[in-house]
Amino acid sequence: MIFIIDDDRIMAECIARSCKGGTRIFSNAIDAMNAIDDELPELIFLDILLDGPDGFTFLEELNSYSDTVKIPIVVVTSLNIKPQTLINYGVRRILDKTTMTPDDIRKEVLNVQK
Amino acid sequence: MESEVNSILVAAHELKAPLALLRQLTLSLEDADEENCLKIRSQMVDISDRAIRQVNDLTKIAHLEDGLFAMEPVAIRSVCDDVVRELEHLFRFNHRNLQTTYTNRSRLVFANRELLYSIIYNFCINAMHYSDTETLSELRVKDYYDKVRITVRDFGPALPVDVWRSIKKGWVSKPVSITMRPGSSGLGLYIASKFSQYMDANVGAIRHRDGTSFFVDFKISKQASLF
Repeated sequence: MIFIIDDDRIMAECIARSCKGGTRIFSNAIDAMNAIDDELPELIFLDILLDGPDGFTFLEELNSYSDTVKIPIVVVTSLNIKPQTLINYGVRRILDKTTMTPDDIRKEVLNVQK
Repeated sequence: MESEVNSILVAAHELKAPLALLRQLTLSLEDADEENCLKIRSQMVDISDRAIRQVNDLTKIAHLEDGLFAMEPVAIRSVCDDVVRELEHLFRFNHRNLQTTYTNRSRLVFANRELLYSIIYNFCINAMHYSDTETLSELRVKDYYDKVRITVRDFGPALPVDVWRSIKKGWVSKPVSITMRPGSSGLGLYIASKFSQYMDANVGAIRHRDGTSFFVDFKISKQASLF
């Protein structure tokens, strides 16, 4: 299962359509964290600016547990974030919402499914 | 000069969001089946409408000084009803509900219909964006001393104290980036503040534990109420 965390429902649906597989959409980090307690996703697409706790808080939380720290994360944002900022969080890639394509999403999904 | 540049940057960032969405939707049309195509087209129209409205509102701000917006007695419930009608589809699509409660006896306020419509529209869009799925947003109209108060209540994250203080003072003087409330609320509040100021109305916000109420107070049109 692939988790998509984005408070913009339409953007989340676009990512889900590109994944072409089982996805769950969450509009905030708290709901996603609760769901992770029941099921470890194989990949997470994470937006940074979220309602309530932001993407960085979510990443900190994932890094606090030995099982969740291994989940591959792809950050999807329109913020100009330097990769070095997220390197310690185990983020695989940063996708820019303004330039990414459905192929970029599919490539990340295929990578984890290999 | 620096604050002007910051204002432009905030406005540009907020207007970038709908463009990025339209781009993604266009790209996803390639793989979509017929049913999804219709849904995507409808989403594209909604997003474009909202973005165009926001740009139009920004343009109107530039024309406020020219006094191009005539003030007249305006039937407040009718404006609210029109906004609700326009946003009904959008709220339903986003799994949100917008409920209206009218308890005002005074029907007419002294305002410009177009600007009043924009204020209520911006508040409602903001409430939709910051409310949780399946929750209610409330549009309330009630008498408040010699004024009529229009309130839009959402059930989302609390407003940061610094933004709340600046609203409490009367208006937001420049578009502000609201980190706890990403999206369009900074620009929307700025637009609402400018329009309210022009119409001699007061815009404000009340912080709740589980959300925020944005309100605007309009003077009751005493002259028109004689009819």
